[in-house]
Amino acid sequence: MPPTEAATWRVTLDPAGRSGAANMAIDAGLLAEAASSGRAVLRLYRFSPPCLSLGRNEPAARYDRAAIARLGIDVVRRPTGGSAVWHDQEVTYAVAAPIALFGGLRAAYHAIHARIAVALRALGADATLAFDRPSARAPGRSGACFATAVGGEVIAAGRKLVGSAQVRQGAALLQHGSILLAGSQDIVDVVSRQPSVGGGATTLSEVLGRPVSFDEVASAIVDAWWDTVSLTARPPDLLTAALRDSAWLWRH
Amino acid sequence: MANIPADLRYTEDHEYVKGGGDGTIVQVGITDYAQGELGDVVFVDLPKVGATFGRRDVFGTIEAVKAVSELYAPVAGTVTEVNAALEGDPALVNRDPYGAGWMIKLRVKDRAEPGKLLNSEAYKKHIGK
Repeated sequence: MPPTEAATWRVTLDPAGRSGAANMAIDAGLLAEAASSGRAVLRLYRFSPPCLSLGRNEPAARYDRAAIARLGIDVVRRPTGGSAVWHDQEVTYAVAAPIALFGGLRAAYHAIHARIAVALRALGADATLAFDRPSARAPGRSGACFATAVGGEVIAAGRKLVGSAQVRQGAALLQHGSILLAGSQDIVDVVSRQPSVGGGATTLSEVLGRPVSFDEVASAIVDAWWDTVSLTARPPDLLTAALRDSAWLWRH
Repeated sequence: MANIPADLRYTEDHEYVKGGGDGTIVQVGITDYAQGELGDVVFVDLPKVGATFGRRDVFGTIEAVKAVSELYAPVAGTVTEVNAALEGDPALVNRDPYGAGWMIKLRVKDRAEPGKLLNSEAYKKHIGK
């Protein structure tokens, strides 16, 4: 990441847990703000109740609406691309920033994932970026987001640990994604009309062999972001206290 | 190396304009460079015939490798035709951006406008080639 980006980053911790619609509305608002103000934001949040999110352009026919209704699960369509994700035990991140901070779509995808991989490695996970040139699913093919990893995504032991998607609007981009802490994505298959393909996901708890908390991961991610900020700009005590408090907003 | 035909006009947002006949109807798509940057295209959302756009208005969106990007009208005009083939085979944009992967045809509002866009040399400079 170029050093210029650090000066304008704002970090928002939002661990309270919100509905799918509320979370997507907040992320869309951050994108609009980034587009109008040129500011960059990292938001860390989660979903409550657990929520199924569909990609912006996924055909609705791919999913069994009756099954979703029967299960009574929250469901939302993201403003971003990609395919379905079950948001339950995870840290969800959103980056809204001017595209110029990264140089381009691929560069942003890699730069953001590289930061997250640094955080996950700091926790002890052998997290790396998938190297292959992106190879998207064929149109119409069923796709749980975590079924396959594309180039630049965060993997551990060959399985996908972080699933992300992006939307660009004018001069800004929104990239958000899920860092899986525990649980599974099986419910995506349960409500899909076609089974997904691919090697599947892993979780941080599985990789580390121990339970992992939202706060622990959020703290590591904020630390990874702050690596790019001059030390004089960092108030570590304030940040740590806030993370312990676990329900607030911190502005740079 | 991206293919940048000399007979087309380009925008800084990586759309191209292919002049048709008398210049009143132009073909619009994204450049070979743009499709390469985006990666495998999985969805293209295009307007309906009859829709009218000003220059740089968003006329649709394109999704590739999980990223959704906006498409901008290179010139002001009215949509006369939409490439329906992209619905079933959006990867045409990757395989043949200047041919079968075209997106819309526009009846231009101002015949002089396409000529004001970047020529191939200026576009090459814009993308750093």
